Amino acid sequence: MTAIRLHDVHKRFGADHVLAGVSLDVAPGHKLGLIGPAASGKSVLLKLVCGLDQPDRGEIEVLGQSVVGKRESELGELRQRIGMLFQNYALFDFLPVAGNVAFPLEQRGGLAADVIAQRVAARLRAVGLAGSEDKLTGELSGGMKKRVGIARATVADAEIVIYDEPTAGLDPVTTQKIYDLLAEDHARTGATVLAVSSDVVALAKFVDEIAFLYRGHIVYRGPAATIVDAPDPLVRQFVRGELDGPLAEARP
Amino acid sequence: MSQRIANIGEAVVSAARAAAELWMVYISTLAGIWRAITRRKAGRGRPKGELVRQLHAIGNRSLIFIVVTLGFIGMVMTYEACLQLSRVTGDYSQVGPQYIRLVISDFGPTLTAMMLATRVGAGIAAEIGSMKVTEQVDALRMSGVLPIDYLIVPRFIASVVMTLLLSTVACLVMYGAGGLTAHYSFGVNLNLFFDVQLVRMRHVVMMIVKAVSYGAAIPVVAGFCGLRARGSSEGVGWATTAAVIGSSFAVIVLDFAISAAALFVTGGDL
Amino acid sequence: MILDPVFEALGAAALRIAQEVGGIVVMTAQVVRALVPPRIDRRELVKQLYKMGNRSVPIVVLTAFFAGGLMTLQTGPFVKKLGATALAGWGAGYAVLREIGPILIALMFSGRVGANNTAELATMTVTEQLDGLRALAIDPVRFLIVPRVIAMLVMLVALTVIGDLVALTGASVVGRAMLDIEWSTMFHSFADNLRPYDFLHGVYKSIAFGGAIAVSSCYFGVTVRGGAVGVGRAVNAAVVAAATSIMLLDFFLTYLTG
Repeated sequence: MTAIRLHDVHKRFGADHVLAGVSLDVAPGHKLGLIGPAASGKSVLLKLVCGLDQPDRGEIEVLGQSVVGKRESELGELRQRIGMLFQNYALFDFLPVAGNVAFPLEQRGGLAADVIAQRVAARLRAVGLAGSEDKLTGELSGGMKKRVGIARATVADAEIVIYDEPTAGLDPVTTQKIYDLLAEDHARTGATVLAVSSDVVALAKFVDEIAFLYRGHIVYRGPAATIVDAPDPLVRQFVRGELDGPLAEARP
Repeated sequence: MSQRIANIGEAVVSAARAAAELWMVYISTLAGIWRAITRRKAGRGRPKGELVRQLHAIGNRSLIFIVVTLGFIGMVMTYEACLQLSRVTGDYSQVGPQYIRLVISDFGPTLTAMMLATRVGAGIAAEIGSMKVTEQVDALRMSGVLPIDYLIVPRFIASVVMTLLLSTVACLVMYGAGGLTAHYSFGVNLNLFFDVQLVRMRHVVMMIVKAVSYGAAIPVVAGFCGLRARGSSEGVGWATTAAVIGSSFAVIVLDFAISAAALFVTGGDL
Repeated sequence: MILDPVFEALGAAALRIAQEVGGIVVMTAQVVRALVPPRIDRRELVKQLYKMGNRSVPIVVLTAFFAGGLMTLQTGPFVKKLGATALAGWGAGYAVLREIGPILIALMFSGRVGANNTAELATMTVTEQLDGLRALAIDPVRFLIVPRVIAMLVMLVALTVIGDLVALTGASVVGRAMLDIEWSTMFHSFADNLRPYDFLHGVYKSIAFGGAIAVSSCYFGVTVRGGAVGVGRAVNAAVVAAATSIMLLDFFLTYLTG
């Protein structure tokens, strides 16, 4: 059984055919990276997987259940098995750090308050923010907000974790620390991971495979270790940041 | 020319679609309240103090605003009415009784709601709108929370309660301010003014029906606009603008509809 | 003392209001100074006039229609019972021209155009476009704010005139449809009982309202702080300030011009 399955998914915004027949399978416990030019629909695809938006056409199954055509109230339980890190953190600014991280656990129900507090403290320690429970989002730097977001996405030990740009805007050292953290979490929980990133080199050290989303299609999927020498010239040019080649975005 | 017709047609269709969505939000809000009352799963997890926080935000903080604005408008209305009468009949005996009848059955709740539509409507749309554009609403959904239950229901309950309370306060303030104006500017006897002989039960019922309707409409319209915000700061600005206009207009239309219905029911005796 | 927190809160509120009022007065002075000599960007002015007028006409017309109808609903039955149908137009018309018309139209205008204007200026400020203009040695007050203030003033007056007429129409329609008062009766009662001064009284008010809405909406737009949240708060503040000023100005103008 696949953890995430997309089949011939189409999504259009006005005249912009962002996803034009995307098919993708992710096996349980597998780590898949997703790369592509800006505005190629990567974030859209992530939202579709969570059921936050509906495709115009196609099938999407997560953990064996379809997320297409379902009402909000029907998706709640499934979503609690998915952890998501949003590109712009999407932290709740009406709650302090502890409240943010505890939120998924509280919504799930059935856990005592002190158990929740313990797990929140453990998570915050793991992301290097021990003792920040009472800080408000306005007091945090970009990197700290990112780490709170990661803590919130992983606190419930979800079966699927989705990271949308986990290291964008962070310096190289912090980037490496974050990926080490994500790798530790994966080793501990065995969750399925779907990660979008524009920092291909750092991403490649973390995930097992990388898929390239271009012009609404997945045009390549291969092992992360050899992505820089991928057989597809489009992918090679993109990953190496070269301006000569078939990539449309590289032309003036 | 045909392009113009197409534009109008498009506008009508999108307006109809928006109206249908708005109706859905209203029904979902009522469903959310039902869930909250029967304490079923979907209503759980709302921060405990949320309802109280909303009551405070909508009620306490609007109090001064309402008292000031409605006090002034009450004075103006009485002044104008007395001025007109002084031109025509010079008989001020009916001013007080007629005034309080109109204030209770119409101007009190309606003007309160118009003021709240600007203050509260803008506030709700701004809060929910900025949450929507920073993806906090999506983050809520990812934890299995229904945005309507979490964001709109507490504000709905608070708004209905507070609009009713504030309308009552407004009626009192307008009555008092009106009386003082009539007395000091036109020498009307205070006892003559403060005479509630014309007020009937149906006027009080109208006030309650109107206040509750307005209180229900404002957060639904404002929340709806907030949840539809897109983009970044411009999206929030648009949502806030739309909320103020939408709720003000809803108040006027509801006022008209309820007054007309009342006229119909009582056979022309307002 | 037990009332200390109350006094503190009142004091803080008073300081904040004083600061805002002060800021608005300063901006008014800046606008007035920029008008002498009047070197305004004509293209920007026309663009603003068009945008604001276009956007607000439908909603104002609809609102005015309903408001006029409402006035008839309130005063009509009373007048009818007294058998004085000839005065039906007087009751509704007087209220509309002097009070309800200007106030309601100003409120709707503030919500539609004022709020939008604040949102636009706030977004420009937050995205540092105003700083960009200053770096190009362009005075934002002269270039952006003055055309908008003039446009809003002119537009509100025009809309009040149009709105008054539509409201009187609405009053007549409701009178005919729900109270069986003939068109001619209404029309005559308008003509007989309403003086031109009543109409002008409303127009004078709309000039004052327009100025208040224009300056406060621009003020809160350019003094915004924070990102998307700040923009929402700025619009909120602008709309509340406009509503309060409308009520206060109405009071003073009514007493002063009687």
